[in-house]
Amino acid sequence: MAGRRAAIKAVDWAAFAERVPANQKAMFNALKTRSDALSARLAALPEKPPAIDWAYYKSTVANAAMVDEFQKKFSALKVPEPVDTQSAKIDAQEQEAAKSTAEYVQASKARIATYEQQLQKFRSMIPFDQMTVEDLNEAFPETRLDKEKYPFWPHKPIGDL
Amino acid sequence: MLSRLVLRAAPAALRSLPPPLAVGVLHATRALHTTQQPLAPLPPLPEKGGEVRHGLIPEELFKFLYPKTGVTGPYMLGTGLVLYLLSKEIYVINHETVAAICILSVIIYGVKKYGAAVAAFADKLNEEKVAVALAVKNKAIQTLETAIEEEKKEQWRVEGRGYLFDAKRNNVAMLLESNYRERLLLVYNEVKKRLDYQVAMQLLRRQKEQEHMIQWVEKNVVQSITPQQQKESIAKCILDLKALSKSAQAAV
Repeated sequence: MAGRRAAIKAVDWAAFAERVPANQKAMFNALKTRSDALSARLAALPEKPPAIDWAYYKSTVANAAMVDEFQKKFSALKVPEPVDTQSAKIDAQEQEAAKSTAEYVQASKARIATYEQQLQKFRSMIPFDQMTVEDLNEAFPETRLDKEKYPFWPHKPIGDL
Repeated sequence: MLSRLVLRAAPAALRSLPPPLAVGVLHATRALHTTQQPLAPLPPLPEKGGEVRHGLIPEELFKFLYPKTGVTGPYMLGTGLVLYLLSKEIYVINHETVAAICILSVIIYGVKKYGAAVAAFADKLNEEKVAVALAVKNKAIQTLETAIEEEKKEQWRVEGRGYLFDAKRNNVAMLLESNYRERLLLVYNEVKKRLDYQVAMQLLRRQKEQEHMIQWVEKNVVQSITPQQQKESIAKCILDLKALSKSAQAAV
């Protein structure tokens, strides 16, 4: 009876649901329905089967020796517990998830850093009505007119006007 | 000749004046180029140009002359200069003068009447350009901020992966447990079925034996009734019935 009673941790489905992004809602719902079905099935089954009334059978059945044999074999019977093949896989999945999570979080932090940088640049810009054209070209390099490539006004292809 | 000397000496004299005074002179340069303070970054250019009186003459001249000559000083200077030019015929009045007067009066009238409107229109055009740029900048800021928010949210979401694995493990545990219980139940049911079968078999046997015996006894009894006994029992029944009918009639 050692492996039995693997603790069934209470899962906070509400908090779980909050964290699910919109594009994975279907998967989450499937998981939830499966979980609910399993727990319903588990709840429907009694924990122990009712005890067999051996005295009654011994008194009723003519062949008391057969009843005795049944009783002996029944109490000696050990029902094998089903083997747990998936927990190891789940743990492996969890490790993998932890790793990929760490990577993702790191990448996300790097992204946030770049965003913060750009945000800083935007916030510390001088107002437009105090800029000269050179200031504008510094702040937004894409506005710089290439006077070598297009030496004549308007210094950019006509289609870009 | 003397005047030419004066005219040539004027620039040198200007340069020899101390810097603050040089500001007040007609060919005034901007304060930025003459002050000693280092200014970096440069302050923004002033919104409006220097104050000007009658659209031509900078205010600095009036300020410069006020201590010595009061309010009318520059006007007297101006009048004197004009009279000098006219009387000495340095400026000659001819038909071009009339043309100039007409043209200038029309220009001045036009500027005075429509100047403000045109300036407002030009300002509006500029404003629109600046507003577009500003809108772009604000949108960019907003986008970046939402992007940061989203990233933080995603990080928070990712933290919830524990739930998923707990749910999975729970599922597995539930499955195993229910499987085990089903097996126990199966064993119990099977054994019970067999025992019940035995009991049922026995009962059935008993029943059948009883029925058979009863039938057999009945058959034998019926067989053993001889015709003589039958006649006697029928006669007795008739007598009994007569007696009963008498008593019944009496009761009714």
